[in-house]
Amino acid sequence: MKKIKIKTPNRSAEKATEASVDYPEKTVGAPLVENPKMSVRNLDVSYSSKQAIYDVTLDIGKHEVIAMIGPSGCGKSTFLRCLNRMNDTIENCTVAGLITLDDEDIYAESMDPVALRAKVGIVFQKPNPFPKSIYDNVAYGPRLHGLVSSRAEIDEVVEVSLTRAGLWGEVKDRLDQPGTGFSGGQQQRLCIARAIAISPDVILMDEPCSALDPIASAKIEELIAELSQNYTIAIVTHSMQQAARVSNRTAYFHLGRLVEVNDTEKIFTAPTHQLTEAYITGRIG
Amino acid sequence: MTKLSSVAREQKIQMGLKKRHRAETRFRLYGAAAIIFGLMCVFLLFADIIGKGHKAFQSTYINLEVTYDQSVLNVTDPTDAEQMSLGDFHGVVKLGLRSRFTEVSGRKNKRELYSIVSNGAGYTLRDRLRDNPALLNNKVKFWLIADDDIDTYYKTLGEKNGPFKGRMTTNKEVWLKELIKSGDIEKRFNLNFFTKGDSREPELAGIRGAAMGSFYTLLITILLAFPLGVAAAVYLEEFALRNRWTDLIEVNINNLAAVPSIIFGLLGLAVFINFFHVPRSVPLVGGLVLTLMTLPTIIISSRAAIKSVPPSIREAAIGVGASPMQVVLHHVLPLAMPGMLTGAIIGMARALGETAPLLMIGMVAFIVDVPAGFTDPSTALPVQIFLWADSPERAFVEKTSAAIMVLLAFLIIMNTFAVVLRKKLERRWM
Repeated sequence: MKKIKIKTPNRSAEKATEASVDYPEKTVGAPLVENPKMSVRNLDVSYSSKQAIYDVTLDIGKHEVIAMIGPSGCGKSTFLRCLNRMNDTIENCTVAGLITLDDEDIYAESMDPVALRAKVGIVFQKPNPFPKSIYDNVAYGPRLHGLVSSRAEIDEVVEVSLTRAGLWGEVKDRLDQPGTGFSGGQQQRLCIARAIAISPDVILMDEPCSALDPIASAKIEELIAELSQNYTIAIVTHSMQQAARVSNRTAYFHLGRLVEVNDTEKIFTAPTHQLTEAYITGRIG
Repeated sequence: MTKLSSVAREQKIQMGLKKRHRAETRFRLYGAAAIIFGLMCVFLLFADIIGKGHKAFQSTYINLEVTYDQSVLNVTDPTDAEQMSLGDFHGVVKLGLRSRFTEVSGRKNKRELYSIVSNGAGYTLRDRLRDNPALLNNKVKFWLIADDDIDTYYKTLGEKNGPFKGRMTTNKEVWLKELIKSGDIEKRFNLNFFTKGDSREPELAGIRGAAMGSFYTLLITILLAFPLGVAAAVYLEEFALRNRWTDLIEVNINNLAAVPSIIFGLLGLAVFINFFHVPRSVPLVGGLVLTLMTLPTIIISSRAAIKSVPPSIREAAIGVGASPMQVVLHHVLPLAMPGMLTGAIIGMARALGETAPLLMIGMVAFIVDVPAGFTDPSTALPVQIFLWADSPERAFVEKTSAAIMVLLAFLIIMNTFAVVLRKKLERRWM
């Protein structure tokens, strides 16, 4: 795991206020990468008349872990949920702009959100296993998409997914027990196992540790590091330390705008924009 | 704050605590009193109904020697149905009575004598002969069902205020005493009550017609109302857009739930019977009317059940790529099913006890035959209770209470079924 020393607040500096800061015309840093897995261009999202995201352009590279940070209500979760069209389920949510996965427009008419979500999995803030057995929780996705046919295949997928999620050793004798009967951390890892069981290309994580204690969080973070070898991961987090520990790149959102994107190390040691600096030094948040 | 005031503060809190404890105790007592009152009412109700109704499960029988006299019967071949249906079996009963009480003379007295045995006795004799043709021209002793006047009198013999006389005459009392002395009268289990349809003769009236009518009616109701209600609720909750139209539909469903049931009866009369020409008085039309009446209840409770499924489960399913239909079928419905069933059972219980709409569609008719299907004229349990309660014969009092017991048993069975089903389907989450 990387060790990055986060910039400490400069006590003498004047507290940054909204009025004193201009939003950048363009996102500062390096929002674009070569050969991206997903790319987002000029994304605007609004709920009814309230705009939540303004003109965000960002690339997500292959097999990278990108962290979205920012104060509450900055639109980072909304942004994440656009990437697998979870926002479709919210009424009055309108999405404008272009999002592509492997150069394919995911909001195109021809794209079935069901097929998209088989490629872009998601893990939610609160562990939400189905009230079924552990086995059925993991097997649900593959069965749904017809990825497995025989019992042996399902068994294998369940074992591989649980192993990758670091849960196999703990639950292998209790596969028929309900997934809801385990600790929060185990439940969250079960949810990760459920997400990787359909072997998606991208895994979205919406504050996966915010409902967990530090030990469980640490396990999830280790898991993210391991998973990043095979998957592209986009993670929203409240904790800057977590972002610093797990991600390669970090994007800082502020009031619906993507202020700065850069390598995690650069963001936390030498932020360019004053808003970013204010946030990571703890003056806003 | 000073030290002194902190002591005063402590005192005030102590004073207040006592008051609070008293209020707490009173509050608990109110609750307990309410429950005790409720239980007492239930107990009184049950005591009254069972106290009256248990008598209906027995009826009085008279042991009588009769002769299947070929010349009286006009039957030569007991296997010939035509002959049997024309045969004068009541004449056989009359002759049997006359030879039992030889001292009776005079037309009036004889007619009085004949009336101590029920009109139904002749049919019993016919059935026995049909089952055993060898009985022809033989003497046999049978337990024949007594008339309701005798039945009521005999059942009330031991009562403090003396037996209920009703239409009993001195003659009948004398004969009855004689029968008691010779042991030729006794109370036996009243099978008729459970196997026969309605009758003008209380001793022959049974609940089976009404029970089967209620059964068929409720079967139609649940088969139509539950799927329709659940489908409507799922659509409104999961698929319909929120706009003026859905608001309007919601308001109307809520209003329909509060419409008096007799209005649904009138609607059924106008639409199903007069427009679609569904036959009247049949369980089919009754079931349709009760479906209309029950639908709003089921829709409302199903919607509440669907709403109570945590959104996180829906999100989880959508997140792994379930289509909207799969989300509903795999997750929402199984989790909402216990709640939906509760609603359905509440609706069905209400439908089972409903009388008013059935009056409008002719299920109040006097129907003797036990219905064998959805299109046979029939009545329903609550209507039967109403009809019997309305009848002048004293013997119908106990029948009414017994019918109420059967209705309650119906309800209890339905509720037990629902509770068991719910326990089976219930799954815990979070």
